[in-house]
Amino acid sequence: MSQVEYTKERKVGEGTYAVVYLGTKQSSGRKIAVKEIKTSEFKDGLDMSAIREVKYLQEIQHENVIELIDIFLAYDNLNLVLEFLPSDLEKVIKDRSILFTPADIKSWMLMTLRGVHHCHRNFILHRDLKPNNLLLSPEGIIKVADFGLARTFPSAQEILTSNVVTRWYRAPELLFGAKHYTSAVDIWSAGVIFAELMLRIPYLPGQNDVDQIEVTFRALGTPTDADWPDVSFFSAYNKLQIYPPPSREELRRRFIAASENALSFLCGMLTMNPQKRWNAVECLESDYFKEAPAPSDPFSIKIS
Amino acid sequence: MKSLVDDYYDNKDMCPICKTDRYLSPDVKFLVNPECYHKICESCVDRIFSLGPAQCPYKNCDKILRKNKFKTQIFDDVGVEKEVDIRKRVFAVFNKKLEDFEGSLEEYNKYLEEIEEIVYNLDNGIDVAQTEEKLRTYEELNRQLIMTNMERNKQDLESFEQRQQFEKEMRMKKRILVRQIEEEERMNKEWAKKEIVNRLSSADDVDDVIEGVKNTVKLKKSSARRKLEELNRVMMNNPYLAANSGGPRKDAVPFTPFNGDRDVSKRYNLDESLYSDPFIKDLQERKDFIASGFRVDYVYSRMLTEAFMGLGCVIGEELQTS
Repeated sequence: MSQVEYTKERKVGEGTYAVVYLGTKQSSGRKIAVKEIKTSEFKDGLDMSAIREVKYLQEIQHENVIELIDIFLAYDNLNLVLEFLPSDLEKVIKDRSILFTPADIKSWMLMTLRGVHHCHRNFILHRDLKPNNLLLSPEGIIKVADFGLARTFPSAQEILTSNVVTRWYRAPELLFGAKHYTSAVDIWSAGVIFAELMLRIPYLPGQNDVDQIEVTFRALGTPTDADWPDVSFFSAYNKLQIYPPPSREELRRRFIAASENALSFLCGMLTMNPQKRWNAVECLESDYFKEAPAPSDPFSIKIS
Repeated sequence: MKSLVDDYYDNKDMCPICKTDRYLSPDVKFLVNPECYHKICESCVDRIFSLGPAQCPYKNCDKILRKNKFKTQIFDDVGVEKEVDIRKRVFAVFNKKLEDFEGSLEEYNKYLEEIEEIVYNLDNGIDVAQTEEKLRTYEELNRQLIMTNMERNKQDLESFEQRQQFEKEMRMKKRILVRQIEEEERMNKEWAKKEIVNRLSSADDVDDVIEGVKNTVKLKKSSARRKLEELNRVMMNNPYLAANSGGPRKDAVPFTPFNGDRDVSKRYNLDESLYSDPFIKDLQERKDFIASGFRVDYVYSRMLTEAFMGLGCVIGEELQTS
């Protein structure tokens, strides 16, 4: 039985549908995390997010995506054996005692976007990117994790739910309730994460879904039909307060430490119109990554 | 009550010799001498040391002080002040850099360790005479080298200052140009608006007029914009930057955004003009699709990639490697 192969040593966390334990793979001594999905409580089968997680993590292998090592069943529970990752970006941002440099931010963005690019080229939408889901390995490598909301790119006429992505990282088309969105929603989240890394406070902290629309447009300007064709089609577009888009100078003041290329990179990811928003390839080819300072070596970033 | 009085006498704004304090004479200035770091006001220094070296006026301090060694205290904490002075003195003598050790980091670290040892000894009064002797001998032996290094440090500092100056100027210029461009664009917009209204009063074809005015605006590529491009080019070839960053990064792997992991060779060529799918073309026109950011090229690229994916796989080879 594979149970002997993996031990659960310590409980490290509990979510609504899973409990996470720290353990060891007996044959190699490698540290692992075991995610035990609570199935017995649900009479109607497995939780949707568990299925999604297994389905997509099995498909993807990349340095910047969490590795699914194994799956086993024990006492009617489904157990996912995942790579052990001790920290995440949310912890790093919140811990005031940790100092990081623009080069560190660049390195993290680079690793995140490589992970996102890999998902997108395999036609997988992550749909829940946030600092909390960007885990850090002991070597300082960023791993995109939590594929509980992931899905494949829709075929042309398929309808998607717009109720995805944690609120603060939700793209404007999702706030409007779009049903045919694209991988651009993940890029928006990456842009908000980039802003948060620079500011060290959440960039667009809406208190509820309505407030999120307000906060987003106050910071980045209300889109119009001119720069986002047919945006007024959305029913939620009515009665919106019209804010002017921020000038370059205003952005410069908000992100004092950012270079011009960093600002262009940010604006590219936070473009309102999803058709014009940069895709993962454009982001990675940005001059921001080419200019000095060069991205730090992940291993050299001190995070504890 | 006692603490209040103590506070008053411990007040650091009072000279302990002549009892002048800052409250009554706001111009009072305090000086210290690196021999003992006792604080004395300027007028006392003038009074006591004008006639030549004399003993420190503090009780139980037998140091002989000279007037020309007195200086203003920079750090509040005398301990810090003292250490900084010692460091200044030691670094003026031990002024080698990593480059002087032909890249041997170990040698350089040993050298730094030696410096710290001397600073620590002098700061804490351990073997002072011996350490001072060591410092002097080193200075005697390496006089020539110390002079050249001093010259080099001065040059480094100068070029750094020049570079900062240069970058500051460039940034200033850029700001001004960007503001100019913004201003011009705003004017152009207003002009276009007026022009359209003017021309419409005498013309019939609305679209033609609007198109015509827009084209004129486009052609007006302003001189400020050209200057900005020029400036960006200059900044890219920043002579100071190139001289500084070119050296140590040579051995590093050149930066690749995709970490070398990118398949640029597509297995198909999409020619949309040859392929017209009425079903998808229809979706492309629908408002809910347009507004959601729906992209036909994404749909096509997914379908085609999936269709031709297998062409890159040779199963025989994969079985062998696994």
